[in-house]
Amino acid sequence: MSLATLPRLRAPSTLVLGGTLLALIVVAAIVGIWVTPYDPTLFAVRFRLQPPSLAHPFGTDEFGRDVLSRILAGAHLSLATGFGAMAISLGVGVPLGLVAAFHRGAVQEVIMRAVDLLIALPPVLLGLLVLAVTPPGLFKTIAAVGLVYVPILVRLTRAVALGLLEEDFVQAARARGEGALPILWHEILPNAWPPIIVECGLRVTFAILLGSALSFLGLGPQPPASEWGLMIAEGRDFLTQAPWVCLAPGLSLCVLLVSVNLVGEGLRERLDPHLQGRGHA
Amino acid sequence: MPDALTLTDAALKIEALSVAYPSRGGWLQALDNVSLAIPPGGVLGLVGESGSGKSTVVLALLGLLGPAAKITAQRLSYGGHDLLREAPTLRGRRIGVVFQDTTAALNPALTIGSQLVEPMRLHLGTEPRAAWQRGTDLLAELGVPRPAQVMKSYAHQLSGGMKQRVGIATALASEPDLLLLDEPTTALDVTIEAQILSLLDELRVRRNLSMLLVSHNLGIVDRLCDRVSVLYAGRLAESGTTRDVLHRPRHPYTKGLLAALPRPDRPHAGRLAPIPGGLPDLTRPDPGCNFRPRCAFAVDGCEKPQALRGELHEVSCHRVDEIADQEWPVEPAPVATGKTARKPLPLLEAEGLSARFGGGGWLARMLGKSTGVLAVDQVSLSINTGEVVGLVGESGCGKSTLGRLMLRLLPARNGTLNFDGGPVEPEASRDFRRRAQVVFQNSGTSLNPRQTVGMILGRAVRWFDMARGPAVATEVDRLLDLVRLPRAYAARYPHQLSGGEKQRIGIARALASRPDFLVCDEAVSALDVSVQAAVLNLLRDLRDELGVAYLFISHDIGVIAHIADRIAVMYQGTIVEEGPVDDVLHPPYHPYTELLLSSVPLIGRDRREPVAPPATGTPAASEGCKFAARCPRKLGPVCDTLAPPLQQAGPGHAIRCHIPLPELAAVPHWLGSPA
Repeated sequence: MSLATLPRLRAPSTLVLGGTLLALIVVAAIVGIWVTPYDPTLFAVRFRLQPPSLAHPFGTDEFGRDVLSRILAGAHLSLATGFGAMAISLGVGVPLGLVAAFHRGAVQEVIMRAVDLLIALPPVLLGLLVLAVTPPGLFKTIAAVGLVYVPILVRLTRAVALGLLEEDFVQAARARGEGALPILWHEILPNAWPPIIVECGLRVTFAILLGSALSFLGLGPQPPASEWGLMIAEGRDFLTQAPWVCLAPGLSLCVLLVSVNLVGEGLRERLDPHLQGRGHA
Repeated sequence: MPDALTLTDAALKIEALSVAYPSRGGWLQALDNVSLAIPPGGVLGLVGESGSGKSTVVLALLGLLGPAAKITAQRLSYGGHDLLREAPTLRGRRIGVVFQDTTAALNPALTIGSQLVEPMRLHLGTEPRAAWQRGTDLLAELGVPRPAQVMKSYAHQLSGGMKQRVGIATALASEPDLLLLDEPTTALDVTIEAQILSLLDELRVRRNLSMLLVSHNLGIVDRLCDRVSVLYAGRLAESGTTRDVLHRPRHPYTKGLLAALPRPDRPHAGRLAPIPGGLPDLTRPDPGCNFRPRCAFAVDGCEKPQALRGELHEVSCHRVDEIADQEWPVEPAPVATGKTARKPLPLLEAEGLSARFGGGGWLARMLGKSTGVLAVDQVSLSINTGEVVGLVGESGCGKSTLGRLMLRLLPARNGTLNFDGGPVEPEASRDFRRRAQVVFQNSGTSLNPRQTVGMILGRAVRWFDMARGPAVATEVDRLLDLVRLPRAYAARYPHQLSGGEKQRIGIARALASRPDFLVCDEAVSALDVSVQAAVLNLLRDLRDELGVAYLFISHDIGVIAHIADRIAVMYQGTIVEEGPVDDVLHPPYHPYTELLLSSVPLIGRDRREPVAPPATGTPAASEGCKFAARCPRKLGPVCDTLAPPLQQAGPGHAIRCHIPLPELAAVPHWLGSPA
């Protein structure tokens, strides 16, 4: 039986559900940068801490700002933190991992020991370290979170590449006299990216969470920006009187995380060769 | 020898066993109406290609097929017990099993002793202390040296042969009277295999064991079994005594299997006879003869259902009498493209190549604490243009390492390499890379799974500038033609190809640069006999068409004898004998060559015992002969202390041994016809 007769690109239902949710959030985030029901920064002290109603579906905060508008206006910040940080980790971690796998010896030792050093620090602490020495801001948060996840990608990429380097098709490329770059580009990367992408899909969740945590601690975007972690921090004081100020950004974060996780899980199902049932020939 | 009459009181009786698995394409008919019987003390061999359903029979007998499988049988009984219901209580108790993969069959986290004691305690209720003692005795009975010590060791501390002995011991621990052997020697070297086979033969007599031997290797079946059943795609093709089935095969499939087998006792036997095609789709079983599409004797009438017919020798073929005297036809050679009868010139000459492995990391190396193993020790080997040199030896002898040294894929510690008159530097030139290529064993991992065949071949074509632009596709077509595959295969991915087809792509990739020299590293070892024959024929034709020289590395001396012009026998990093095929396969032999040849299970050889190496030996001293510790003909201390001289036994035939040539020449001819 040949796999050619089967539809090769049947997407798992988790991927469809997660992808749809994530697409909605992304659209909302892009729209939210320009258009929101109310001005997200407009104070309306008369209407402060109003419970959810038709006029304000998610209620208002301590300054009377519309929570829904603020969430929409801040969505792009969380998304940017998650995906931006992952892009940085990918861009730095994957090349370093490949180099470490290809050049055993001193180069590998330097890279891997540096990675061990970074891994030894707890993520929040590492983020704090980076942000504490410079004034906070969105791009700094992204860079800090990205740095936190570099070691994981270096290790993963190296482990995958080490396995692949032993394969005979790499030996065949060596027998053709190919050097490091063509082998890495043509033989290793196409086979290494599925596990890396899957890992990234799952790590985006952590990155968003870490970004929000840093904002919560006051080290992310500064008020009046409506980063979700920051919104939770601001609403914390009114938790008993007006729980919606905290709950709304919290739940939004939750939905975002679930959708990203579903996409990651779906990607794993789609790309993991062990779950794919290859090799029927 | 038991005959059909005693089968009525058979110990194991299988009647009309059918097994189907659910699969994506529907129900997959793994076994279809299979009947087998084993009398007490009898040994039945079950042979067939991979995917024919051999292992399914074993799993069905053990009741281990899983809940999804649909099993029907008129009868599946063992000693009066219905296995369909009672298999879980009988397996491990009265039915013992030995599996192929010795490493996977033993638990790496438990001592050998605790694994051996467990079945005795579970099934026989033996006291721990008594069980331990019995385990030790059992190991001793199976020829394990220092059994008390082995009981306390872990699986990774034992060699492959020892692990298989332990595997047999665990199967025997609960005193079963039926032993199921699923490819028990396939993972072992031929010398170890011979020892295990002798052991099984002894056990069967001593303990009156019944055995079911599942194997793809017809030689070991001939060595061990009374009766043989041939399975093809879930159905029995032929069943009878070993002598009848393997020496006077009547079913076309059996004839084909035997014709496809390369045999060391018939070197340069011309072309082998492969069986074309592959296994049929088991989700849509053919109501007629299921071998019909591949059969050389198929005619109208084959589409009717075929029943097993015959008294003692059953065959499921309606033409059995018409084709009784016909051999399986040999695949015609392609039209000879004028084999250039060039004068052979030295092409590749290796002089004193060595390689050392291991010895800790870079830190240990910098501190000068490197130890390590000398995998190849000062080997010199030369290959002429258009010549096939076979390199044979047991696993771990350094033959693959030598192959890679000769391609400069591994750095050599010392020695020189000359190619076509000029030296090859450690950083090989692009020209050398183009002219010297390699074909790997494992067709599964030798092709990049993310690239189509066209991309794989096209990449090699472009890399060596053999063609540019649209001409690349033409060149890919030419390569596919060369390995006799349809051009449409360029669009396929490796997982859409069969094992034999993948191996052809591996060969085509190596040929993309139009090389003069190919290293074939166990290039046919992972293939079924019928497919292996086709690939061997292809390699032979390519040699004739293109004049490529091969270094053909294999552990299978039959394959080597078939394809090689010259043979080099390797043992622990040194070449102990080298010469033209006929000289190496005839006495005088190096004692190691003799051990190898006497161990090969050959169909039709009388059951004489192979040369028995001493059970234990002290590790070879660095000075003396490396084979001294295992040598059955060891002279004395001189073998341990002095490097053996290279004796010239004939033109181009050299033996590295202390024993005088006349004495080496006086040994029996191991591949001669049975007396």
